[in-house]
Amino acid sequence: MNPAAHAPSPLLPLTYLLTAAAAFLLAALAVPWLAADLAGHYYHPRILALTHTVTLGWITLTIMGASYQLIPVVLERPVWSERLARWQYAAFVAGAIGVVGHFVIAEWVGFVWSAALLSLAVAAHVLNAALSVRGLRRWTFTARLVALALVGLSLTALLGGALGLDHVRDVLPGGFFANLHAHVHLALLGWVLPMVIGVAARVYALFLLAPEPGGRGGAVQLWGLALGVPATVLGIALESRLVIAGAVAVAAAVLAHLIWIVGMVRGRRRPALDWGLRFVLAGAAFVLPAAVLGLALAAGVASGPRWALAYGVVVFGGWASLTIAGMMLKIVPFLVWYRAYAPLVGRAAVPTLTQLGWPAGERAALALLFAGIAGLAAAVGAGDPGWIRAAGLLLAAGALVFAVALARVVHHLVPCPMRTVPAAGRAAGR
Amino acid sequence: MTAALQMGRGRPTEARMRPSRRLHPGASVAQASISFRPAALAAIPEARHVHLDVRADIRRGGEPFARIMSAVKALADDQALELRVPFEPIPLYGVLGRRGLAHWAESRAADDWSAWFYRDAGAPGASASAGAAAGAAAAPAAPRTVTLDVRGLEPPLPMVRVLERLDVLGAGEQLEVIHSRRPLFLYPQLDERGFVHETDEPEPGVVRIVVRRGAA
Repeated sequence: MNPAAHAPSPLLPLTYLLTAAAAFLLAALAVPWLAADLAGHYYHPRILALTHTVTLGWITLTIMGASYQLIPVVLERPVWSERLARWQYAAFVAGAIGVVGHFVIAEWVGFVWSAALLSLAVAAHVLNAALSVRGLRRWTFTARLVALALVGLSLTALLGGALGLDHVRDVLPGGFFANLHAHVHLALLGWVLPMVIGVAARVYALFLLAPEPGGRGGAVQLWGLALGVPATVLGIALESRLVIAGAVAVAAAVLAHLIWIVGMVRGRRRPALDWGLRFVLAGAAFVLPAAVLGLALAAGVASGPRWALAYGVVVFGGWASLTIAGMMLKIVPFLVWYRAYAPLVGRAAVPTLTQLGWPAGERAALALLFAGIAGLAAAVGAGDPGWIRAAGLLLAAGALVFAVALARVVHHLVPCPMRTVPAAGRAAGR
Repeated sequence: MTAALQMGRGRPTEARMRPSRRLHPGASVAQASISFRPAALAAIPEARHVHLDVRADIRRGGEPFARIMSAVKALADDQALELRVPFEPIPLYGVLGRRGLAHWAESRAADDWSAWFYRDAGAPGASASAGAAAGAAAAPAAPRTVTLDVRGLEPPLPMVRVLERLDVLGAGEQLEVIHSRRPLFLYPQLDERGFVHETDEPEPGVVRIVVRRGAA
């Protein structure tokens, strides 16, 4: 097969990533407005809408879009069908809007139809990714974790749809909240965690200019998730003590992942960290409190909706969101540069990736988001609407600056005869 | 570029056209310039020197390769480029040598180097290129393989290095790229520029791409 015949289009992942960034901005702007709701129980229509704007619109859409760039780079396989990926995008966005919208109005029949559309998009993604990696010569650590994540995504979508259907017809055995918690943990531990851990092993090393990690840490992560996630999810759904064994296995995997990150940072040849990498490392800093909170909730040391909501903020807002935002600050400039400037390399002066970015804005976004998320976790834990609103304002400001930083990169795609390459990229010395 | 320059510190991968000069600690640049500066460089008046300082770029983690290549492209035959870098830019010697530029470098401090690039008709590289061209005209020969190792560079630098090198690929040359993965984003650029390429994996984790000009 001629690989060039299946050359990746930068516009495909960019479409996903920029839509995801818009969802992140929308969710962050909604937090101060939902401060009173966030001080109460998490099973509230507007909180469910906010949560799914983050998990579907921001996190899942980013991972799906990034997959269509990272499959060629990390797994060295062309995307099987970009046309299917475009249909998937349309179905996913329509389904996610339907799910979030029907949560807001608490209308379950429409919700089920939206969830069905979303499941169709998920099936398209799983099919596309599976056929892309079909025939892979070496099943690396990253490839195995991606496969694990795709199984987790499929099961999360199925259980989510079944939970919605359960409102219309009684289809699920067991307690409603037990099933809801199982769905949340399937999404977090079965889909997001293995995808991030798998991609990090290859991509963090690439960006840090560090040797790829190896050794027993890989087996701990792989088996920790392969055994720990089913145990945790089943333990939650069946309300059994199995959940503690599962949580310990997942925590071991997370710890091994952290050790790998520290090793890569220490062994890096890159002299200075850019802001994308600092976002990623700031996200990793949330892993430890997330693991401690998760273990405490599993063991019953901590309980109740406030602790659960604080755990959700630390995990989805802190670890996942900062990690994803950092990856976006690495991936989006590359895609824009590739689209706008790669054809000019060797023929004209082109800017570097660094020159496409906005370091001052990225620094401000990181500071605001970090403070906002940490503050929000504490505020929802305390159940104080005033503090939630204050932390939400920081978060919203950070998301706004982040969106502007991305927009400054993306504007390089707009054809403009007046725009030249940044001054520092021109022939210098005269 | 930064990574490549750093990896190249003290272990040149390509033949140098001129020996570099390291000053002893405490020695002044002026002393070195008077004592050792090559005649062809000394003959270029100071007013025809183009100065490019990339030390701050490199310390910030930036990639100055594009700036350097732009400055080289704009360099007139009677000009010299003085490049200020925090370490000796050994990999550049080979790259710019193939563009017919001789080099001479001196250390001002442990983390402050000046490297001059200039045209020298009498340089070994220049005559070798001429000889190779003459030989190629006389009888068709197997293409000369130029190897470029881009492992350990952050994207898109491998692509930039390859395309920059292909821009100056001689008629009788082919480029062998050593990569750590199959560069799926590079292939369309090669096709679009009329190059043909073959990829194989001589050992796990090492990918080799041989690129040559397609038939006109």
